Formats: sequence, C-alpha cells, structure tokens
Amino acid sequence: MINLLALNSTDVIVFVFAGIVVISLLFGFILYFILSYRHKQKDYLLLELQKTEIENHKIVIEKTLSDLKTTQAQLIQSEKMASMGVLTAGIAHEIQNPLNFVNNFSEINKELIEEMQQEMDKGNLDNAQTISNDIKANEEKINHHGKRADTIVKGMLQHSRSSSSGVKEPADINALTDEYLRLAYHGLRAKDKSFNATMKTDFDETIGNVSIIPQDIGRVILNLITNAFYAVTEKKSNYTTTSAVGEYEPAVTVATKKLTLLSGVAGVRISVADNGNGVPQKILDKIFQPFFTTKPTGQGTGLGLSLSYDIIKAHGGELIVESKEGEGSEFIIYLPFA
Amino acid sequence: MFTDFYHSFYYTILVIGALTGLVFVMRVDAPFKWLSILLLATLISEVVAKFFPSEFKTTNNNPVYHVFTIIEYLIYAIIYSYFFNSIFWTRLLTISVLFLIVAESINVVFFQPFQFTPTNSMILESLLLIFLSLSLFLKLRTNIAYANIFMEGVFWFNSSVLCYYSFNILIWGFHSIKVYELKNPPTIIYNLILLLSGVLYLLYAASIVLHYLNKRNPKQSK
Repeated sequence: MINLLALNSTDVIVFVFAGIVVISLLFGFILYFILSYRHKQKDYLLLELQKTEIENHKIVIEKTLSDLKTTQAQLIQSEKMASMGVLTAGIAHEIQNPLNFVNNFSEINKELIEEMQQEMDKGNLDNAQTISNDIKANEEKINHHGKRADTIVKGMLQHSRSSSSGVKEPADINALTDEYLRLAYHGLRAKDKSFNATMKTDFDETIGNVSIIPQDIGRVILNLITNAFYAVTEKKSNYTTTSAVGEYEPAVTVATKKLTLLSGVAGVRISVADNGNGVPQKILDKIFQPFFTTKPTGQGTGLGLSLSYDIIKAHGGELIVESKEGEGSEFIIYLPFA
Repeated sequence: MFTDFYHSFYYTILVIGALTGLVFVMRVDAPFKWLSILLLATLISEVVAKFFPSEFKTTNNNPVYHVFTIIEYLIYAIIYSYFFNSIFWTRLLTISVLFLIVAESINVVFFQPFQFTPTNSMILESLLLIFLSLSLFLKLRTNIAYANIFMEGVFWFNSSVLCYYSFNILIWGFHSIKVYELKNPPTIIYNLILLLSGVLYLLYAASIVLHYLNKRNPKQSK
C-alpha cells in the first residue's frame, strides 16, 4: 500500500473506485446469469416433464387407437356374421322348398316311369305317351326348382364374401328386396318359432334395373328389415306382458317406387316401415352413429345402421328415418339410377 | 528462491495447476485438455521468463510476454471453439487470433517494443476474452444442459476468465496510464496481478477436476 502512495491520492481513489465498479458489475452479471439459468432450467425441466407426459399419453392413445381399430374390425365382422346368421336360417328354409319339390317330383317321376314301362309292356302306347308328357312337365318343375336353389346359394355366396367387389351392376331392386324380406323373415322364424309378423309389399313394377352393388344394398335391406322385425317383436312382447295380445298385429311393409330425386336425377325409393315402438326423438339423430344401439348388450353391435348409412352414401344416395314414438318407424332409401 | 509472499503464492499455485493439468490431460474432454496445456504452457513461459535475462544477457524478460500473449490467446481460442462448437465461431476465433497477431506486431513496431511490457496487447487480449466469456454465458443460458451449474467445469472456467480479464484491463490500463512512466512504480500493482493470476490458475485446476468428476459420473450433473 505504501508503494501505491507514489501515486497521487486522486489516482488511487479512481483506481479503487474503478475496482469496486468492476467487482460490482462482475458479481451482478454472474448473479444474473445464475438466476436466469435456474429460472430457465425450471421452465426447461417443466417442459421436459410435460414432454415426457405427452409422449406417455401419446403411447397410450396410440395403443388405444390400435385396440379400437382392431375391435372395430372385429365388430364389423361380427355384424356381418350376425346378418349371415339371419341369412343362413332364411336360406335353409328357402332352399328347403325347392329341395322338397325336387325330391317329390323325382319320386313321382320314378313311379311314373315304372307306370309308363308297364303301359308300354301292355302295348298301351297312348297311355305311355300321356305319362311321358307328365314326366316331362315334372322334369321342367325339377329343373325350375333346382335353378331356384342355385340362385339362393349364389346369393348366399355373394353375401358371404368378405369384401364387396365394389363393382356396380344392374340389379332388379324389387326382386332383391323381396328375396331379402323373405330371407329375413324365415331367418328369424328359424331362430324363434313364436315369431310372426305380417309382411306387406308394394313394389313399383316400372322401376326395372338399377345400377348398384347388389350384395351391399342387399345387406342394407336385410339390416333394415331385421330391425323392423325386431321392433315389432319388441312391441308384441310388451303387449304379451300386459295381457293385451290381441290388440296388436305386427306388420312390416316394404315398398319401392320410381321417382325423381331432389337433385333432378331419376332414382328409386325403397322404404321399410314397421308398426313397432318407434324411435324416441331424443335418440333419432344418433341411430346412424357407429356403435349406437338400443338393443340389450350382446344383441346388437351398433354398427348395422352406421354401415348401412355408409353403403347408401357410397352409392350416392340417402338413408333417412321417419319415426313416431309408439306408432312405428319408416326407413327410406333414396338411390339414383346410375 | 522467491522472497515475497505474492511470488511464492503465484508460482506454487501455477505448479499445482500445471501438475493437475498433467494428471488429468488424458482423462478429460478436448477443451479441458487444452486448458491443461494452457497451464503447462504458462508454467513453461514463467520458467523461460525467469531465466531469459541471464541467458540472453538482457535487462528484462518482456520479450517472453510479447510471444506468450499470442500463444495464450491462441490456446484460449481453441478452448472456446470447442465450447461454441460451430463453424461461425471457429471462423470468428480464427480471425480474432490473426487480428491479435497483427495488433501485436503493430504494437511492437510502433508502441511497445520487445523490452517493454506488452500492456496494449494484453488489454486487447483481455477485451477479446471478455467478449468470448460473455458469449459463452449467453450460449449456456440458451442451452440448458446442466442440472447443477456450480458443479460444471465450464462455468468456473468461464467465470474465472470473465473476472480475471476484467481486472486485467483495469490493472494494465491503470499501469499504462499512471504507473508506466514512474521511476519507482508501486509494486502492489504487480502483486495484485500475481494474486489474481494465482486464483485464476487455481480455478482452472478446479474446473479440470470438476469436469473429470462429472465425466466419470455423468448422472450427477446431467
């Protein structure tokens, strides 16, 4: 310090003051750095924590999504299998009729042939000629019913295809609707012998062929008819429990009509009406949502109407519902011709 | 050998620092390797400076400091280039080294020849190092990479550079303006430099050790 006195006092004061300023500045700066570093570190750690949390959630969501997709695929498959079940029972019944005809007429023909041989042995050629005509008529009937069985089997095969070919082809809407109406009816009858309902049809014969994917539209019609039968059965069971069976006559009406759609394009209207309990207004806008069902657990997948809606939309058509609670519902399909 | 406390303190710490550097030079990452080299180079320069006058029959050892200022800054530039780890900074540091060489040449020719203490170059070096130190602080603040900054060698190294070279400017600036022309300059100025240098090398050694410890147990710091 003594040496420092070689300088004048002002210089010493300036030097010391400058030293204090430098120390203060450095201390302030390093303190500021440490505090801001810690502050940022906290934010960073919080961000890291949130990032980890988000990543964990993402993994869970991705797994859930994957599970949902798998479940959805399984449900769609089970929905197909459910309609297949109805179809199979209906087909079994439908195929039984032509088979009975085939069996009966072939038995008769066997007897007729024996009879014809006897007549020929006796030399009664006129009688033999008459019998041969009968045999020929029976053969035509056997052939007709064989073809009918063939058509049913082909229809079943078409329906059971795992995926639709996606190719539109001209199809007779009336025949298709009628076929699925009967298949649904007989399918439900096969499951429940007590099931019964009046089926009414009102087909517009002027419709002709419409360009559709038959197995897809068939699936929609089958679904709507099955739902209609379910609705009337439900209502009937309510009447049974209230001991007023005679007051209610379950009926399902299927109708087709050629018309001009709102867009100006020619099209067809297919309606499936029932006199069941109807759909409550509060759930009317939800019935086309996937997985929405009013059926008890295990009886419905909640995908039938949703898939039907998608199929009709894919055809450029509309699927709407009109319902009055307690009086019944009417599902209407509008399809353009092309 | 050394008659006063300040010189004894300075040289003892420098030897300890250089030995620490020597021990850890092969066990630490590149910037701390260079920091170890810097400590060794400083020790070598001080030894050379000690024997320079008798060997070359000159009145002082200032030529050693003219050369060492450049070498010292070159090593610092290498250390900082590792810390910044970008092409931009490598280029900037290269330019700053060239700039200091040119400035020192001009200083030797026009202002402070070899027999004088190169205070101008030392002040310029200090300014450059303060700039680098502040920039590194900014980078550290931007990239939060350490759990406990006090346990990081880079923090202590950079803080030491900032503090030491800030005082360096003050002291050498004061020396250039007020002390330089005195017939009996106050020795406290030089003693202060020795004291601060000793602390600086001690902190450098501590940063090397801290870095080594963190490298060995990365979980403690990251």
